[in-house]
Amino acid sequence: MAAPRTSKPLQGTLTVVRAASPVEAVKFETFIKITADGTVTAYNGHVDLGTGIRTALGQIVAEELDVSFARVVVVLGDTALVPNQGATIASETIQITAVPLRKAAAQARQFLAARAAERLELPVEQLVIEDGLIRGKDNRSVSYGELIAGEIIQLELADDVPVKSVEAYTIVGQSMPRLDLPAKATGELVYVHDVRVPGMLHGRVVRPPYAGVDVGDFIGNSLIAVDESSVSNIPGLVAVVRIGDFVGVVAEREENAIKAAAQLKVSWKPVPTLPDLKDIETALRANPSTPRKLIDKGDVDAAIAGAAKPMPRTYIWPYQMHASIGPSCAVADYQEDLTRVWSGTQNPHHLRTDLARLIHRREAEIEVIRLEAAGCYGRNCADDVSADAVLLSRAVGRPVRVQLTREQEHAWEPKGTAQLMDVNGGLNADGSVAGYDFATRYPSNGAPTLALLLTGAVPHTPAVFEMGDRTAIPPYDYENLRVVANDMPPIVRAAWLRGVSALPNTFAHECWIDECASEAGVDPIEYRLRYLKDPRAVDLVNAVAERAGWKPRPVRRDKQAEGDIVRGRGFAYALYVHSKFPGYGAAWSAWIADVAVNKVTGDVSVTRVVAGQDSGLMINPDGVRHQIHGNVIQSTSRALMEEVSFDRTSVTAREWGAYPIIKFPDVPEIDVLMLPRQDQPPLGVGESASVPSAAAIANAIYDATGVRFRELPFTPERILRGLRGEEQTTPEALSAPPQPAPASRTWQNPFAGRGMLATAAALCAAAIGIGAAALPWRAIAPIARPDASVYSAATIARGQQLAALGDCAVCHTSANGALNAGGRPLQTPFGTIYATNITPDVETGIGAWSYPAFERAMREGIHRDGRHLYPAFPYTHFAKTTDADMQALYAYLMAQPAVRAETPQNALAFPFNMRPLMAGWNALFHKPSPFQPDPAKSETWNRGAYLVEGLGHCSACHSPRNALGAEVAGAHLAGGFAEGWEAPALTSLSQAPIPWSEDELYAYLRTGESRFHGVAAGPMAPVVKELGALPDSDIRAMAVYLASFNAPSMDRATQEALAARLESSTGTRASAASSIGARIYQGACAVCHEVGGAPLFGSRPSLALNSNLHSTAPDNLIQVVLHGIAKPVITDLGYMPAFKDSLSDGQIAELVGYLRQQFAPDKPIWKDIHAAVGRIRREQTR
Amino acid sequence: MTQSTMRLTVNGKTHDVDAAPDSALLYVLRNDLELNGPKYGCGLGECGACAVLIDGVAARSCVIPIEGCDGRDIVTLEGLGTRAQPDPVQQAFIREQAAQCGYCLNGMIITTKALLLRSPHPSEDEVLEALRHHLCRCGAHVEIMRAAMRAAGHVVEAQA
Repeated sequence: MAAPRTSKPLQGTLTVVRAASPVEAVKFETFIKITADGTVTAYNGHVDLGTGIRTALGQIVAEELDVSFARVVVVLGDTALVPNQGATIASETIQITAVPLRKAAAQARQFLAARAAERLELPVEQLVIEDGLIRGKDNRSVSYGELIAGEIIQLELADDVPVKSVEAYTIVGQSMPRLDLPAKATGELVYVHDVRVPGMLHGRVVRPPYAGVDVGDFIGNSLIAVDESSVSNIPGLVAVVRIGDFVGVVAEREENAIKAAAQLKVSWKPVPTLPDLKDIETALRANPSTPRKLIDKGDVDAAIAGAAKPMPRTYIWPYQMHASIGPSCAVADYQEDLTRVWSGTQNPHHLRTDLARLIHRREAEIEVIRLEAAGCYGRNCADDVSADAVLLSRAVGRPVRVQLTREQEHAWEPKGTAQLMDVNGGLNADGSVAGYDFATRYPSNGAPTLALLLTGAVPHTPAVFEMGDRTAIPPYDYENLRVVANDMPPIVRAAWLRGVSALPNTFAHECWIDECASEAGVDPIEYRLRYLKDPRAVDLVNAVAERAGWKPRPVRRDKQAEGDIVRGRGFAYALYVHSKFPGYGAAWSAWIADVAVNKVTGDVSVTRVVAGQDSGLMINPDGVRHQIHGNVIQSTSRALMEEVSFDRTSVTAREWGAYPIIKFPDVPEIDVLMLPRQDQPPLGVGESASVPSAAAIANAIYDATGVRFRELPFTPERILRGLRGEEQTTPEALSAPPQPAPASRTWQNPFAGRGMLATAAALCAAAIGIGAAALPWRAIAPIARPDASVYSAATIARGQQLAALGDCAVCHTSANGALNAGGRPLQTPFGTIYATNITPDVETGIGAWSYPAFERAMREGIHRDGRHLYPAFPYTHFAKTTDADMQALYAYLMAQPAVRAETPQNALAFPFNMRPLMAGWNALFHKPSPFQPDPAKSETWNRGAYLVEGLGHCSACHSPRNALGAEVAGAHLAGGFAEGWEAPALTSLSQAPIPWSEDELYAYLRTGESRFHGVAAGPMAPVVKELGALPDSDIRAMAVYLASFNAPSMDRATQEALAARLESSTGTRASAASSIGARIYQGACAVCHEVGGAPLFGSRPSLALNSNLHSTAPDNLIQVVLHGIAKPVITDLGYMPAFKDSLSDGQIAELVGYLRQQFAPDKPIWKDIHAAVGRIRREQTR
Repeated sequence: MTQSTMRLTVNGKTHDVDAAPDSALLYVLRNDLELNGPKYGCGLGECGACAVLIDGVAARSCVIPIEGCDGRDIVTLEGLGTRAQPDPVQQAFIREQAAQCGYCLNGMIITTKALLLRSPHPSEDEVLEALRHHLCRCGAHVEIMRAAMRAAGHVVEAQA
């Protein structure tokens, strides 16, 4: 042991250190520090990824140091404080990284005990230590703190320190509550996401379109331009940063950074085509590889050639995600002398090296402070976002917090890679294994920190890592055995994911031996035991079989079906061999999985798992149990449902609907069997229990169904194909992306069809003829702005109600603009019309309009200056207004504050830009007669008619229009289109499954929601909001009038009964999510829409009853999925998020198609939904 | 949208916040009120990490703008209890060690609380249903269910 260096300043500490690498700012890295007040600090280079190693390391230190567990503070992952011990990977923390820490604690204890012996003048053997107090036989004592007193004692870590024997353990081996949970359960500052530093700004990044791809010469040089003016209206925007393909925005407030990132116009070069990753097998076979022989024993070729029964098999593993629940986040504070980065990284020291390279600084000038983040099970975007934050902080000279979006985390996290396992093997006539020739193809996983690639700081040439070899050698003692790892570059961005290549390799090993057992007519466990020589493995396998009550089954028998369900049971075993080949073993694991397979839906549920594990010494047995639970649940999820989807350019799964993970009701019952091996060295437990998962489940499915499944995940579609004998068919290839078609500028009116242009031309000709004959209109002289005080407050108030009924403000107010000051663009079939300023501003509004000018505009569609107005302004309806109402409306408009705001020029195509033609249009389509009550109807009905047909102008949207934009005669309220939304028929032509009744119309118009129809969305939401100004009696009158267009309504009880029938017959709970659309619904929609789901703030619109799902056109459904509901009629209804940036056109089409079939099963399927999604997206961005 | 002052009632205190009315409640809670409980998980209301109680009902604060919270009573994880005085639901989650990374823990606790507010003695199926749309990636489901059942007054047996 090295001699201690001591000195005597004020504060006393004892540290155990070792020499640091030359790149560090300090000379020594510390493992243990004991201060004179008795506190103990332990430093470890690994980080706690949510597995509880902080607690376990604390136990180890407390044990060796003979202090109470509570006294130990564990410091992890701050590069300025902790030793550099590499990345937290491969379940190494307890097995490897804790070793020097344990020795350091033992060394400190030994030093202090020796010093106490000297002080107490007693032999060391006669001393007893309890919680840092050293006591002699004579009861004299001295504490660690007293022994340190004011000295600075530094011990150099020795290799030859004796540590405690296991029998002496009192803290290690006991279950300890996790140290971190009270803080996490009460919202204390724990995570990197919670870091707030003074002056901190908020950043977001804008990633390139090659989402999730990091190989190829286009990486880092695909950006064409960034249009900073596109975000000039964002409040508090501090900077737009561009370096190569790295683009970021920084703002004072987070929500404004989000807006800026979404709104920033960035143009990129076209993205190269990816291999078709829907067909993993072909893509991996085509990827160039280098074979690396891991073992070649016996004479494999001869053995297989002579086999009585050849058994060549191929196993396929998909791309999967780490899928951290919290997207990565980091805070950076760039300073000239020291840059500090608060990060959730898995490998702080490696990140520091990357950051030094990124910003051309020495490592000693960078401090990475690791805080907890969402669990990552491998490597997520934690490093990427740390580098992003550094770049943005450097650009603005202030601390910046960067939060990746869910979509970015999903798309860009380095995926757990796909893998292909080929087995060539065979059986001898006696059923024994003749030979096993195993080859695995594993696209490598370097995944350089993204900012390095995007800025060009590192080359985009892929590194090939040798990582496909984990557990590539089967645990079975086959006489003739060859294993080859085919190392290959990545296809898409990938990194290690829990179990790395061991999980896929074991899937192949364990499925194959299971098949051999079947062929040999031997029980699958017994068959394995013939080849399993490792005594601990044999013990574990036997223990698990006993625990699960395994009944030997030499021959599989068809199972008695329970209805559509067949049940089965499968076994698999693995010793997880990890780290650089040949590596070493972590814990032993064996599974017995029970499954239930629905033969009709293809749904597989894992009902129970007996998971046995031999972990050696368990530091914290509860912690080990939780790790086993976590591994079982996560790997079950991976086996059943997880698969990253791609199109031909990028990752398309960008939220939890497209990449589902297991939910509570699907979690199996788990029975954990932990073998007591406290006398054996501790082994890593973070991954082992995942490794047998997929094979055990596949073998159980075989037991249930008699069909072998050799490709993951076991989705209902795959199971059904397998049960029908179609499993081996080649997957349908994805087509390469077509050349982008120029965005269509043609408005496609679903009602008008092909003949539209011809009809328009003919009608134009007619209009021109009439227009030429009509008299020109004269201007009405401007007046001084009228004095609104001549009107009574009651008249103005009434006018305000009427303005609300007429939705004046809905059209005449632009987004974020002043009320009624105009400027809002209205998309019409004929071009863009801008709503005018109707505030009483004399120059830009209607301040110079006399009442006669106003009335003429309202009734005849003529501007004060004599120009024709376009019928986007619904004067054809307003003409019906009574004189008294017209005057009140005028009074209100003139009493508003005047706002100066020029109206932009309309952008109309010829001939629609010829205003005089409107004279002809009016002659054809407009009758400026006031409302005439129908004496045969009730007063309420007539009131309703006046409101609906007059200022309410309902039919302006809810009636079809002809090619010249006039409402079609004879199709009044029969449904129309406005602003890209369908305005459904309000008559008996309505497609609603429950006919509209007066009460439901009233409820809808009053509150924005009808239980039997849904909530007001799109352009209808502001209409209902405006109607809030009207008294209940007027709303009732409108409901009475509109109800009269429908068949006599059914009574409430009948409606309720019909609703219940529709909802129960279309309920999704019982049915498996057997399509992409169904899974997106379950992941993205069901939380708020499933009938009977747990209450959440807001309404729960029932999709089975929703009119939009029953319509002939999918437009409204597509609109609401794309854009959500940001402005509900009343806040009680709640909000719907927009999915336009989270789901692709293809995914929305799958979802919409599924919703139609599921919730409107008696209606014909919608055709060409994909095209409709594209069209509606383009309409919105015009 | 321009900034304006909005008044929010959170954990029993009123706060005047200078933010655009369409700002998601989540960001205002985290950045202006410096609360750590509600977490950003997806921004789409899918995962539940951002859950808070609004007028006693579970709500996904990532999709609710502050203009929708006018006059409402918002409670976050911090408002339930503290380390020294935890709410019984928080206590049950600590007792059952019901987290690994703990990022989803906020949503699990808030939703269990919301469930117990409307149904003080829920069955196991009701608890499963309430937590269905809360995602946990670590696989702490077993411990979370035990915690929720304990909070709901069920006897939870020790694990073998």
